[in-house]
Amino acid sequence: MSADAALPHPDLVAALPRLRRYARVLTGDATRADDLVQDTLARAWEKRRLWQAGTDLRAWLFTVMHNVHINQLALARRDAANVSLDDEGEGAAWQIPVRANQLERVELMELVQQMGRLPAEQREVLLLAAVEEMRYEEIAALLEIPIGTVMSRLSRARDKLKRLVGEPAPQLKVVKMSPGVSS
Amino acid sequence: MNPSSLPDFDLHAYADGQLAPERMAAVEATLAKEPALSARVAEIRSQNAALRDALDPLLAEPLPARLLAAAAPPVAGSGTARRWLMPAFAAAATLVLGIGIGWYGRGTVLEDAGTPTTFARQAALTHALYAADARRPVEVWANEEKSLATWLTRRLGHPMYVPDLNGLGFSLVGGRLVAGNEKPTGLYMYENADKQRLTLQIRKDTKHIGAPASGNVDTAFRYAVENGVGVFYWIDNDCGYALSGNLDRGQLLTIARVVYGQLAAADAAVPARSN
Repeated sequence: MSADAALPHPDLVAALPRLRRYARVLTGDATRADDLVQDTLARAWEKRRLWQAGTDLRAWLFTVMHNVHINQLALARRDAANVSLDDEGEGAAWQIPVRANQLERVELMELVQQMGRLPAEQREVLLLAAVEEMRYEEIAALLEIPIGTVMSRLSRARDKLKRLVGEPAPQLKVVKMSPGVSS
Repeated sequence: MNPSSLPDFDLHAYADGQLAPERMAAVEATLAKEPALSARVAEIRSQNAALRDALDPLLAEPLPARLLAAAAPPVAGSGTARRWLMPAFAAAATLVLGIGIGWYGRGTVLEDAGTPTTFARQAALTHALYAADARRPVEVWANEEKSLATWLTRRLGHPMYVPDLNGLGFSLVGGRLVAGNEKPTGLYMYENADKQRLTLQIRKDTKHIGAPASGNVDTAFRYAVENGVGVFYWIDNDCGYALSGNLDRGQLLTIARVVYGQLAAADAAVPARSN
């Protein structure tokens, strides 16, 4: 019996939906998010000996992805230094579709849209704490930052998001909409 | 951020349900005295809930083939790759061995008597039989997908989920129960725009679950060509799966990975939140 093609690893497959969501929140774009997840899996296989059996695989994969993303951003910045591309570009491409019933939809779309205006580091902590419901100390370990930094990012993210969503900005959607994109 | 006596950490930890039990009484006492703080807690909680409502549906999106391919061990150094996460592997490997021996062993015995019984060969024959049937390739058509799944679940005694291959250009034709095997086999048929047909056959075999662990068996897609029909087959949990079609190996493998990924995701049943 020889193996003809390896099966996808079940534990990795189980982690994929959450990895993709995290990547989506980091990049704001479906294709770039899946590119990031693919790079993350390649990196995880390379570095698999660093994973400690018995520990949370999802958290380890999140760390790998966070680091891959940071490295890619650093490389992109270096490459872009001459082209003068700044961080503004990131927020502009932000797009996460919202599936919900009609009643909730407008409200949730607005929330997600405004989430895209938060700095990436705040968005990341907000996702991990509010949506993934990870413990603050886990988040600190995952991002390799002090827990105080986790708390200040989380607190700022929540306050800013609340402010942004509360802002009366009827023209915002029109201004943000690029030609040819309909929602 | 907040003017009161309650540290930010406590406020957020309380709202997120991760406050240390020994701080609970003190924080609740403060909150009871300061309605503005209680209101802030409520706000944080409703923001959390809204974010989950907005972002949870992303978890249900179908997994793309390229990511499923990336979730498989890389070809180079697969020896060590296979050992990674071995505890999680052990159960599956046991089954591969057990069912493998069961099937192949029985296959050898019965083949001597002229009856084709290996899983792949049976799958290929069944595929050829029904895929060529223009009038009645399936017993239950795709428009009754839900009752198809319910019916096969009951007949096979195993939760049956119908993979969605529309993303790969194959739509469901329907399904049937394949008779004549020792174990009932469920069959789903798919068809693309060129009228090429694929079948996915699923058979439950619980006979050999108690087989001793060997720890050295590959968990893998196996590939066979029987009478010109390509078959990828694999074991997962206590079921055998065979995907058959007249496609080239690469195309068939891509589809097999997607099927595997969807079934694994259905198994893991992404927890639906109630709040």
